[in-house]
Amino acid sequence: MLSPGGTGVSPEVFPSVEWFARLGELMEENRAVHEHVGEIDCSCVWTVFDADGQGTDRHFQTTFELYSLIDVREVTEEERVKANFILETDVWVWKEMLDSIAEGGGRPDLEHSLNRLSLPGVPIRLWAEDPLDRDMFFRFNGSLQEFVNASVHIPTAYLVED
Amino acid sequence: MADLTDTIASLDPPPLATHDREDELCAAYEAAFEADRETWINFATPAVERLEKGSFSLEWMNTDEGHWGTQVKPSSRGLTFMDCNRSKAYGTIADSVPDHHRNLTPRGSIRDPYKDQLPVYDDFVVTEKWDLWADNVSTLYEEAKARQWNATKDIAWDELEELPEDLEKAACQLATFLTEIEFLAGDFPAKWMYRIPAEFLEIKAFLATQIMDEARHLEVFRKRALAGGGGLLHVNPMFEWASKALMASPTHTSGAYFLNLIGEGFILSVFRGGEFLARTHVDREIFRRCLQDEARHVAFGTIELKNYLENHPQPDQALARMHRYADIAEVLVSTSILQPVVLEPLAVLMGGGLDEIDTGMDGVAFLWDVVKEEYLQRCDRAGLMRREVCKFGELPWKAAC
Repeated sequence: MLSPGGTGVSPEVFPSVEWFARLGELMEENRAVHEHVGEIDCSCVWTVFDADGQGTDRHFQTTFELYSLIDVREVTEEERVKANFILETDVWVWKEMLDSIAEGGGRPDLEHSLNRLSLPGVPIRLWAEDPLDRDMFFRFNGSLQEFVNASVHIPTAYLVED
Repeated sequence: MADLTDTIASLDPPPLATHDREDELCAAYEAAFEADRETWINFATPAVERLEKGSFSLEWMNTDEGHWGTQVKPSSRGLTFMDCNRSKAYGTIADSVPDHHRNLTPRGSIRDPYKDQLPVYDDFVVTEKWDLWADNVSTLYEEAKARQWNATKDIAWDELEELPEDLEKAACQLATFLTEIEFLAGDFPAKWMYRIPAEFLEIKAFLATQIMDEARHLEVFRKRALAGGGGLLHVNPMFEWASKALMASPTHTSGAYFLNLIGEGFILSVFRGGEFLARTHVDREIFRRCLQDEARHVAFGTIELKNYLENHPQPDQALARMHRYADIAEVLVSTSILQPVVLEPLAVLMGGGLDEIDTGMDGVAFLWDVVKEEYLQRCDRAGLMRREVCKFGELPWKAAC
């Protein structure tokens, strides 16, 4: 069952390649914002546990270069370690974070930024095999947060029910 | 021995900087010029004679020993140091800088024909690649330029919300400590930048960005303290002793490890924790922007240490020496952090108020563990295995009954 997470026409389903690709399109549309924050060069996997409410875990790899998302694809659990770092949490935390961004008009409240949610290791776990790759999350933190903040412009539907 | 002790006790302290010594220093400068007068004449005479005859040398048009025709090509992001260094002509970096390159002559220029005419800069003592290089330095330099920000305009100062007095005091105290730290973080690379020959231009350039980053950080924390009306609060004398020890590090790598792996690593974790400490969006934005900068410095320091340990001509001795430095540096940093002017404002902010300082200390203890673990991971990555010997203990904290 789809439950809408935003307003407007034809919601994108979260999580999906299309949903992340739409964020990539918004990066281009908001290029001035990203140019101001700075270049971003890294690959990141967003793992969504229980993505469909049926226990299915899914992994989406986004690759950034300069001010653009140059590739987004769904990868397997084994493939995901090739990315620089991985951010993993369940679909409910994602929904809470995206709701906070929407309520803040494109800015999460103090409790729902990527960094805030990942520092304690829960609910978001940030990890990489190489600590220097993990540190890329910090180096490009502002760009990644802007990337996710653009979700305010995406009517989002979820595969789980409230 | 008694005579020596008496002598030391009776010695006058050295004069501070240039105070009251300007005449003496001016005379010494003149004397130095006199000593080199013949050199100056030898350079000036032929140039003047040639000009007086209305003739030209045009020797500079001879490119025999240069790389004329070597064209570097830009990549998608423009022309980077990485693009330049793809050419052997400009990207071949000396393992060891000879005396005649201990100056500002650019790598890749036609300089060897002039080697008998070039001065040696006595201060340029970091001449070995194993003592300063980091393979990620060019990438980090480009990244640093691309991610600069402006503490005057990029922080929405007019959105700073009024906080209860206890939280504002804690925010101001933390900002005071961070301002003090950022002076150190800028002064250390500045001190060593002038000790590095132009051969290692990428390192010099990166250090310049680090100095700029730290200038911006000390600016933003100073402004944060002032913007809320509380102002700067108490300095941290223990930290000053630790800073003095860091600045006195005898080698570039030992000091860079001390600053970038331990010091900046700690600050990186504090800035990450800033989202717990931040009671306003303004504070959060400050911490996030500083976080990005510090992560670059930590990445540089980690790979620099790795380079040192892997390429030192006497690797076993180098490793043993780094452990000796680490034994001291870990104690100094952890002792500085334990001071009330650091831990207590962190705990008040973490807890959400003075009444919740005990709860906040639990958060600080957690942050302490994050600092330690991330530091040890970076040491592992660099090849300096500190897990069994690390001097960071548990945070010696027990809630009062």
